[in-house]
Amino acid sequence: MSCLRPINQLFYKPAHAVLYCILLACALQAANLQAQAINSADGKPMAPPAIDGAMNLTAEQVITLILTTPDLVIIDARKRSEYIKGHIQGAVNLLNSQMDETTLGSYASNKNVALLFYCNGPRCMRSSDAVQKALGWGYRNIFWFRGGWNEWSEKRLPVVID
Amino acid sequence: MQIQRLSIRALTVLIFSLLGMVAIILSILAGNYFRQAALNAQMNSLSRVIEVAAQETVRDLTRHTFDLGMKLSHNPELLAALQNNHKDKLISLLDDSFINGFSGFSKIDLQKIRIYDIRLNFIAQSAEGIRGLEPALAPQLVKQGSSRQGIERLKAIDALWLSAAGPMHSTLVPVGGLHLAGFLEIVVDPVFNLPNIGHITRTPISIYSARGEPLLLAADTHSDDGFLPIAYTLNTSDQRAAFQIVGYENVSRLNRQMNQTQLVTISGFLLLSLSALAAALWMFSRFLFRPLRRMIADMQQMRHGRLDLTIDPRGLREFYLLADSFNAMASQIRRRTEDLEHMLDLDDNAIICFRNDSEAAYFNRSAIKLFGYSEQQLGQLELTDLFAEDIQQLVQHRQAPGKLQCQLHCITRQADQLPCDAVISQMDVNNETAYALIIKPQSPASGSEDKLAQNLVSSLEQNGQRMEVIEQSLHSLLEITRHNPQLLKLLSNAQNDSPHPGSEGSKQLLRQQVVITMQATLACWEHELHKSKLQLAEESRIWPVYIDKSTPTTRTLDKYLQLDTCPNNPRSQRVIDSAEFVLRQLDHQHGHYPQTLLTALQNLRNTLAGMQ
Repeated sequence: MSCLRPINQLFYKPAHAVLYCILLACALQAANLQAQAINSADGKPMAPPAIDGAMNLTAEQVITLILTTPDLVIIDARKRSEYIKGHIQGAVNLLNSQMDETTLGSYASNKNVALLFYCNGPRCMRSSDAVQKALGWGYRNIFWFRGGWNEWSEKRLPVVID
Repeated sequence: MQIQRLSIRALTVLIFSLLGMVAIILSILAGNYFRQAALNAQMNSLSRVIEVAAQETVRDLTRHTFDLGMKLSHNPELLAALQNNHKDKLISLLDDSFINGFSGFSKIDLQKIRIYDIRLNFIAQSAEGIRGLEPALAPQLVKQGSSRQGIERLKAIDALWLSAAGPMHSTLVPVGGLHLAGFLEIVVDPVFNLPNIGHITRTPISIYSARGEPLLLAADTHSDDGFLPIAYTLNTSDQRAAFQIVGYENVSRLNRQMNQTQLVTISGFLLLSLSALAAALWMFSRFLFRPLRRMIADMQQMRHGRLDLTIDPRGLREFYLLADSFNAMASQIRRRTEDLEHMLDLDDNAIICFRNDSEAAYFNRSAIKLFGYSEQQLGQLELTDLFAEDIQQLVQHRQAPGKLQCQLHCITRQADQLPCDAVISQMDVNNETAYALIIKPQSPASGSEDKLAQNLVSSLEQNGQRMEVIEQSLHSLLEITRHNPQLLKLLSNAQNDSPHPGSEGSKQLLRQQVVITMQATLACWEHELHKSKLQLAEESRIWPVYIDKSTPTTRTLDKYLQLDTCPNNPRSQRVIDSAEFVLRQLDHQHGHYPQTLLTALQNLRNTLAGMQ
């Protein structure tokens, strides 16, 4: 008796084929979700390389933006303790988890005002989360400093220590 | 030293001893190199660790100076004083850090705070702190700062530099944050922070200036205590030596481990080497020395005359071939000797060889016949028992060297003294002097009547015996002619020639009988025993075997197979011996060939008897 079976006899009923397809789709979706959550080499979550609707900036571009945009609102999405140890000149501390539309609106009442978000760096998910929230609330002039505090301090740029 | 005095065994032992010594020396050298390599690796490793620790210490230092600079540079009062160029105010603001302290005050040794304009021109410096520093920015910072443009100028820069008061560390930060208004230089003494290197490396360290002056000395770090000093030079930003940092690695544990490893490896290596040498020596002894010794002992015995010995061919291929070749050679010598002895046996003269000890070393059959003793008895007798004369004295008192002809009286077993003509020859046998006596009995004297009567009786007896032999010969001849009719012609020719004893006809008849007997002997040997002519000669040892162009031949035997080549005075006894030998080998078998041989042999004997 052979173990091989003709392909037309693989599924006994059409319902079985449907069930297999559903299971396959679920497995692919789970794998996709897992790939999104863990996308670094060491398995730790990382901020996305870019966010649609937000402009990605380097430290030097941030300084240029600060110097050329007087009404720029800089949002430091880190914890308060981290903010006190040092932050970019003119930044306000607004933790992403505590940021709602009203709080953000108190700093930027106009949806067209330029907003710059940063946190600790590429491994920090706070600023990307805050950017996505701001985009969701309709802010259209959003800048994202993905390198964050790590890049700023490594380049030994001026900081404000409270 | 002569090379022949040196044995292979001694040479091999010497070579192996040298190898053993080389192995020991190499083990010790390898152990020392291993130890040195391990120490070098440890030194390189610690040197690298000190380098990393020094860099980390400097980085920690710059973090504190940067924080201090950032706090001061955002001070509104300082900014206002700078913009308004109030130097006194600036100095008092800069002194505030020395007087009232700052966050991280205990982490650095602040020496000076200086302020510059945006073109890096000196404006003011703190009154507090070290004195004697030139009111100017360090050259390295000037070089770095002046070459930067735009946003790059906002970045803080650091430098380790050499001042008149010693090595200093400066951090240059912008004043006014992102809106550049000037620069602030924080000058600290790095010696204060350098001991942290020891905390990172967890080893005692000493710090020396570039000129070798001790700045910090570690306690109890003598090399005798197992501390290995490893130096690292901390350079300034323009690559000039600023500090010499010496870390002390405690290598006593490493030494212990290395000693242990060295002991184990050397012991193991030596054990393995000596085991291999011992095994090799045993193999040499088993497969080389022992067979060689055995072969030499056998050869020496053969050299001393024991030709019956054969060398044991067990051993390696070369020994086997050597022993086999030697045995073959010895066998040929034996055969030649036997041939020679046989030839001597066939001689009618009695031959006796003796050495200086007066014992007979060799005697032929004629000698046995002459003296009437058996072979064993004759071998046990001395010359004085055999001769009435003192042979030794004769030899010693001879007139001239060489052969000595004389008359001797042989003492027979019956105590008769037979007068004989003798020739005594001197020979060298195995470096010993030996003598050969060739004795020919003189014709018997016919003096006494008793002897005459005895001779008469014996001649009558002999005649009776001859008649019997002739009768038997006739019967045998009839029998032969029945089986071999062509012989009839020969016989008739022989009859016509009327041979008489001693005449040419009788000699011709004898030759014919010899040839017939030899042919019958060979036919019987080949057909009944299925062996070759060569084997007959070799096994019977009656006929010599010659080596003709590496091929053994039986030239003498071949002559006796044809009437044309048969000698005029054939050695009939050899032919009889050959026939008897073949008949003995047949062990009384019956058949055509044996019967023919018996008949031929009998005819030969009859012919011989008739001739006598």
